[in-house]
Amino acid sequence: MNRTNHPHDELQLLLDERLDAAAHARVEAHLSTCSQCRRELEALRWTQRAARGLNRPDATAPPEVAARVFAALDEEDRRASPSAHPERTQRGSRLLPALGIAVAAVIALAIVFLRPSGFDPTQNAADDLVRYATATLALDLETKNPQELEQFFADGRIAFPTRVFDFGMMNFELTGGRVHDIDGRRSALFAYTSASGGHIICQMYEGGVSELPDGFERHVDDGIEFRVYRRGTSTLVFWQEGPLVCVLASDGDPGEALAFARAKAQV
Amino acid sequence: MTRSDTQKRADFETVAVPLMGALYQTALSLTRQPDDASDIVQETFLRAYRTFDNFRAGTNARAWMFTILYSVFTNRRKKAGREDANVPIEELEAKYWQFAASAGPSPDEVDFGQLKSAEVEAALNALPETFRSAVLMVDVNEFSYDEAAAALACPVGTLRSRLFRARRLLAAALHDYARREGYTRSKER
Ligand SMILES: [Zn+2]
Repeated sequence: MNRTNHPHDELQLLLDERLDAAAHARVEAHLSTCSQCRRELEALRWTQRAARGLNRPDATAPPEVAARVFAALDEEDRRASPSAHPERTQRGSRLLPALGIAVAAVIALAIVFLRPSGFDPTQNAADDLVRYATATLALDLETKNPQELEQFFADGRIAFPTRVFDFGMMNFELTGGRVHDIDGRRSALFAYTSASGGHIICQMYEGGVSELPDGFERHVDDGIEFRVYRRGTSTLVFWQEGPLVCVLASDGDPGEALAFARAKAQV
Repeated sequence: MTRSDTQKRADFETVAVPLMGALYQTALSLTRQPDDASDIVQETFLRAYRTFDNFRAGTNARAWMFTILYSVFTNRRKKAGREDANVPIEELEAKYWQFAASAGPSPDEVDFGQLKSAEVEAALNALPETFRSAVLMVDVNEFSYDEAAAALACPVGTLRSRLFRARRLLAAALHDYARREGYTRSKER
């Protein structure tokens, strides 16, 4: 066969909609008289469709890959700005021996002393929600059972007692939790998903709501103060429980986030 | 971290994290090794983060990240000096032209529609990397010829000829496979 008799390359350009009007008409005219080219076009079209079918828009990286990426970014942040984030520095294994524990402690003290109000967990809380929603937040324990997760935290992992909420009544199911870090502080994190695709992340850490930055909406209910922040598409609700701060992050309706927090907050 | 560093990190994650799944899938298809894919994705994010100041907000973050991914992949491959596993290219191409030269559907015409995506994936992953990457960019990830050529660091004409050959090879491989599996229209009826 003489291949040049048939517009093989043009069939592919047709597939990719890369032909100008004149060339398009020419190829269509040829196709109307040539069953070989019609068959070839069909095979190519099917092949392209099959390849496109391999693109799964909801495909996620395995949690361990995401964890490696975030660890590398944390490491990069430390390298770029080694004096900041004392508690993150303590977690890192590479930087600490180089600095020396004493030096690190002095730096940590200096940071605490010089920047008493530098703590801002709002962006972290919103980022964690995005990570969770994109399935790139690794959970240490996957469970639907709040008591099991509380026990997991209590087994020497989290120094303070945790209360893992049950949002079953609101159609959100617990998926698990992790021992986490919110702007340099140890936190207990637990995550929920609803059947309709909503996500909630709750975290508890030692501190006070008075440390939080400005720019919140204040709601008081039964003597409990709720501070509501908006970060991107996330709503964050903070409140105080004794020595702990609780934060609920939701990518759903802002009013719903506050209602969930009110339902679970305790004096 | 200073406030602006925190903001940079947050901005970067907003742009890059939603692409992680697609980048990982592509890395996996390029390397065929989960460990290698994981290394490449990590390095891609790190390189992107380090140069994030150069990235202009509102430009095509997907194309930018995939370009870095492919560059990381080729650098690593050069270092490792690894060669592609070979499929019989000439044989497959001959089969394609044979198929293209035969007229009209025969009674036992292959039905591509019965192929499963795992089978398509396996056929794609068996192609040599130069062809595989063209299909990955243009068909799987739906980049334009220009974007794909930029990501693969080759002229558009080269990208186009690789892509066309790649689709022919893939069509021939799938046709061959479907016929061996008995995925024919006569069977379906
Ligand atoms: Zn023809």
